[in-house]
Amino acid sequence: MIELLQNLIDGLGRGSIYALLALGVAVVFGVMHLLNFAHGELITVGGYATFAFFSQFTGGSWWLAAPIIVVAAIVASLIIERVAFSRVRGASDFTLLLTSFGVHFVVSAIFLLYVSASVKTFPRPGWVTNTWSIGSLTIEVFDTVVIVTTLVVLAGTAWLLQRTMFGLSLRAAAADFSTAQLMGVRSDAVIRGAFALSGLLAGIAGIFWLMRAGSITPSGGIDPMLKGVLAALIGGLGSLRGAVLGGFVLGLAEVLLRSRLPDGIANLTEGVVFLLIALLFIFRPQGLITVAHAERV
Amino acid sequence: MRLRYLVALLAAFALLAAACGDDDSTDGGSDSGDSGESAGGTLDIDAILAADLDNCTDAPSGDPIRVGMAMDFSDVVGFVDIPGSNLVPFVAEKANCAGGVNGRPVEVRVAEVGDDAALATQELLDWGAHFLIGPPFADFALPILQTTDGQVPLFVAASTEPTLADSSINSYLVSFDDNQMSSAAAQWALDEGITRAIVFTEGEGVPYSGVNPDAFMAAFEAGGGEVVSVQNYVWAGDTDFSAQVNEIAGISENNEVVFSAALAFQVTALRGQLEGQGLDGLTYVGTDALDATGIQVEENNEGVAHTPHTSISEGDPIDTLLADYEAAEGEALESRGFMALYVDSMFLGIQGMLDCGCDEPADIGAAVQEISGFDGLSGEITYAGTEGIPPKAVPINQIIDGADTLVATIEP
Repeated sequence: MIELLQNLIDGLGRGSIYALLALGVAVVFGVMHLLNFAHGELITVGGYATFAFFSQFTGGSWWLAAPIIVVAAIVASLIIERVAFSRVRGASDFTLLLTSFGVHFVVSAIFLLYVSASVKTFPRPGWVTNTWSIGSLTIEVFDTVVIVTTLVVLAGTAWLLQRTMFGLSLRAAAADFSTAQLMGVRSDAVIRGAFALSGLLAGIAGIFWLMRAGSITPSGGIDPMLKGVLAALIGGLGSLRGAVLGGFVLGLAEVLLRSRLPDGIANLTEGVVFLLIALLFIFRPQGLITVAHAERV
Repeated sequence: MRLRYLVALLAAFALLAAACGDDDSTDGGSDSGDSGESAGGTLDIDAILAADLDNCTDAPSGDPIRVGMAMDFSDVVGFVDIPGSNLVPFVAEKANCAGGVNGRPVEVRVAEVGDDAALATQELLDWGAHFLIGPPFADFALPILQTTDGQVPLFVAASTEPTLADSSINSYLVSFDDNQMSSAAAQWALDEGITRAIVFTEGEGVPYSGVNPDAFMAAFEAGGGEVVSVQNYVWAGDTDFSAQVNEIAGISENNEVVFSAALAFQVTALRGQLEGQGLDGLTYVGTDALDATGIQVEENNEGVAHTPHTSISEGDPIDTLLADYEAAEGEALESRGFMALYVDSMFLGIQGMLDCGCDEPADIGAAVQEISGFDGLSGEITYAGTEGIPPKAVPINQIIDGADTLVATIEP
């Protein structure tokens, strides 16, 4: 029972990071109908920014590194939108998808060619592996911080979307882009805003991802991209609530399966997760949460 | 008129073909195989490494020795193949500076395998490579072997995969293999008095990430130890081991050896989480992967043991060579521990050529198969009587007081 509880907390911690990633994917999908396979590159950029920071300032603090990661992710997201996606705005979904793959490969190649093919490491904060206990239940401080931070960020995002003019514009554009434009919503500003918000969410997820990993490689964005896109798909593309739910479901599934699968097949965890996702799509092709309009956030 | 052009064209082609054809006039036989006397001359490695590039002897003028390097520059193995493909041409330059090998210049051509290793290999064969140096991992090496069809010697420089070595098709490891490496790690742990082991694997028989744990467990149990837990993980991926750590916390006596073929940042993450559960009495042992990804620069690495290919000390030939490279090129090479394998690959190929006194790749391969007691930068290498896996001593290094220190050498 104790182990199950610990697994649930571990799964929620992991799922929180996935939820933040999925939310970023869902926000951009909402306004552009773009399933952004380059989303993980924002983590890669943040990772190399972290590496550069700790290389320059040995003994530097994560309190300084964290905002650098967020800023790097936002700036990268805006640059990617400007350089790549603004050129194909309004193109078919397939064109957008291919463009996002292209961005992914180009960003990886840039780091490979101009930084290194080797793993670059940086120190993790000391508290990442600290624990605290309730009775015989041992909980990682890291998981606690990630879960709490994610809840705060989700609440902030909900407020931003529901209570601000930017959020209203974003939701209007997502519901019907053409009508929103006729009503005076500036498409450039909305799309850039969506990419900035996506970058912000990726940056926050990146802080935790990189704290845990303590390393980055040119292809380091693949795993977070995959988790974010999968979680968004599980929850129902276009749904913010679904993206968050999908993230938590994916995190819990990974931890519980790895812990519960019998010895000898535990290494099939990833495969079983994909099998479950395939089964989900057979019975609920729209994901866990149904969205009335594909574009709607 | 057209006929005259055609005849002229054919004549030109004939002249070109004659000019480009292999010159086997130096072929002095292919059955030498005797490491003492070489039919084609001697290889003076010390003189080559000592060459001063600012003060060279007369340039060699014989037929070139052509070394083909099919290398992967992606982040899969670029961490070793990129520096390796920088160092080997540098050593060739030194060889030429020292007057070449028996008056023959050494030429190196590097072809990036990209997503088509076969094409890169064909480019090198068309160029006339006498032997090849290839990247680790079957994904890259197997297309190369299919292209050479066993007719050109291939040294899989940085690989420890036993399945890639097969002298019958001219494929050779330069390093010890996974079985030697992880058996040595198990032997060291037993010698340290540790009798319980926790092993992380990607699954039985999985190349590298599973084969090494398999070998470790077999050797550890054969030596009287007990494997108390086998945990699964994603090699080069996982950095959150919460599920495994929860399970280990329930069975550990805080005195086990934790073995895996994981990368350095993974071992550091795992150790942090285990210590977070109060398990601070464990001993961590890894493979050459810890050297590849820099256990030396990781935090919380004190006491971690690993099996580097070369335990480099100040003033060693490889240390001096790497310093020379840095001085000449202005930047240090990464993956220092692997670099001797690339240099040895080139020297082994040349040794094969000298032993047989021949230029025909298949004959060179036959001579390489008979190499015995070759004194390389990465240790003594013997192929005679093996399947292409040299039985080599395995160094065990441990981080002691922050320094990567040689603590044992496990003989084959």
